[in-house]
Amino acid sequence: MDIYFKITANYPYFVAMVLFCIGIYAILSQANLMKKIIGINIMVNAIFLLLISSGNIRGGIAPLQEVGLSTEQLYVNPLPAALVLTGIVVSLSVTAFALSIVVKINEYYGTIEVNEILEIRSSQ
Amino acid sequence: MFMLFEAHPLLLVLFVLMAALLMPTIFHFRRRLCGAAALLVMFIALLISLSFVRLTLEGRVLSYAVGGWPAPWGIEVLIEPLSAFMLAVISFVALIVIFYSVSALEWEVPEAGIGWYYTTFLLLIAAMKGMAITNDLFNMYVFIEVAGISACVLIIAKGGREATEATFKYLLLATVGSGFVLMGIALLYMVTGNLNIDYVARELAMVYPQYPHLIWTVLSFFLVGFGIKAALFPLHVWLPDAHSSAPTPSSAILSSLVVKIYIVALLKFYFLIFGFELLDQLLIRHLILMMGSAAILAGSMFAFAQLNLKRRLAYSSVAQIGYIFLGIGLGSPIGLAAGILHIFNHAVMKACLFLAAGAIYRQTGEKNVNKLQGIGYSMPLTMGAFSIAAFSMVGLPLFSGFISKWYLALGSIEAGIPMFVGLIILSGLLNGSYFLPIIWQAFFVVDKHEPKILTIDKLPFSMSASLVVLALVIIYFGVWPQLPLSLAQKAANLFLP
Repeated sequence: MDIYFKITANYPYFVAMVLFCIGIYAILSQANLMKKIIGINIMVNAIFLLLISSGNIRGGIAPLQEVGLSTEQLYVNPLPAALVLTGIVVSLSVTAFALSIVVKINEYYGTIEVNEILEIRSSQ
Repeated sequence: MFMLFEAHPLLLVLFVLMAALLMPTIFHFRRRLCGAAALLVMFIALLISLSFVRLTLEGRVLSYAVGGWPAPWGIEVLIEPLSAFMLAVISFVALIVIFYSVSALEWEVPEAGIGWYYTTFLLLIAAMKGMAITNDLFNMYVFIEVAGISACVLIIAKGGREATEATFKYLLLATVGSGFVLMGIALLYMVTGNLNIDYVARELAMVYPQYPHLIWTVLSFFLVGFGIKAALFPLHVWLPDAHSSAPTPSSAILSSLVVKIYIVALLKFYFLIFGFELLDQLLIRHLILMMGSAAILAGSMFAFAQLNLKRRLAYSSVAQIGYIFLGIGLGSPIGLAAGILHIFNHAVMKACLFLAAGAIYRQTGEKNVNKLQGIGYSMPLTMGAFSIAAFSMVGLPLFSGFISKWYLALGSIEAGIPMFVGLIILSGLLNGSYFLPIIWQAFFVVDKHEPKILTIDKLPFSMSASLVVLALVIIYFGVWPQLPLSLAQKAANLFLP
């Protein structure tokens, strides 16, 4: 019962870890190169979810400096959001580069399934 | 000029970064000048790195707050002995490899891509320099990704089936690796609330008894993440394909520098954040020791089975990375210093071997190691440099490889595990078993019917000259190893107080 309460209290962290595992599983098990790239994105987004939820406070608002900041109001930690923004740019460029390689592989082999590529390579 | 860079060490990274983006412009206007410009950039970077080395040998540590924001808020750049050492190694090897590629590149990559090739090359160098000097966790992640993508571009530069497939494999695994590293950084940030390595270490020392499982998770995530990137033995599967199918200058730089910089990052994370005692208690050190020894044996055996020369060299890298991890795992000051010293020695040796393999392929078109009979007579300079680097790999005295193996053996005795002396000797024999037949064939197996006449290599000047310089450096630091050794010892003392 204890672990159940721990999970429900911190469910974003739990979801992030589950997504991370799903992403790794997709990368390792799927034979289709596109699905592998989708797996990368699921994995990286799980990390972003973890970071964002670690900085979040329920009922908090964005820490914008306006006239008269009240001390009673809760503010969300802005640093994880900045980190995630950088991370999204990085993962976007990795995805774009991977997709362009997949196009090249499709030109060379006529397929993007790993097992068919292996068959073509071993038959030559 | 040195004063400016001493006051703002980050300028070194920015200088290379800006030069990288200028390369396509230079290529557009003056095609021939592109290589010379890259050479000049790396030469200036080498001079500045050597001035940093001089400063750290005097015992000074340079600290710089980027953008004027002091440490816990802004990004901090730190020049300590290990970063100065890595800066000098990166600049030196990259300088020689660029000198080689000035005349080799038009033969290796498509004509129109040469400008962009230098761009990615310098981007990779800038990212590695950034990783060496940064003291901030997230900044490290960003540089890791920049280095990863530009390394992939360097592999795919030649085009063709094998290179494309190897690049996809490398990109996939490198992204998984950096994903693991980022997860570790995120978990550390959640419990400490800091990203600066010093502040994280201070905070973690207070809170770590509350999070025993989390410390385990972070340590293993860092080991897997950096292990994939640095090709530690069971995680090395991408390395042979990627390093053997890339163009020659790319293979040289990937094998001699790129895998090492991740080891340096792992060293910084492990020893500066967690400290040696925690690593020892949690048995992570012993795990690294086991993986390192497995890498030394398995890498050499795989290398023995390869017939393609570049693949054989790539598998030999897996074994040599094992030495560096062995030095880290020993945990004694001499062992760690030997591991750090081997980063430099292996970088020079492996660059020399890969460049020689490229030169052999250019003149004879031969990739198979069993068809190199009598090649020592038609390419004496190349095969001479190859032999010197191979002897150094085996660990013969008077060559630099001997120095790092000697200190590794001393370190394992100091750590109280003399068993590893036997492992080092055994692996030296294994190295000999796959390098010496090549040299034997090249110089002593001669066809009786058509005796070979000794002729000088038919290579452009810059290719032969860079090989000769690397061979001379191997001999010089094999006879007078004081300079890199004292720097490595200073770095090791920083990690093991």
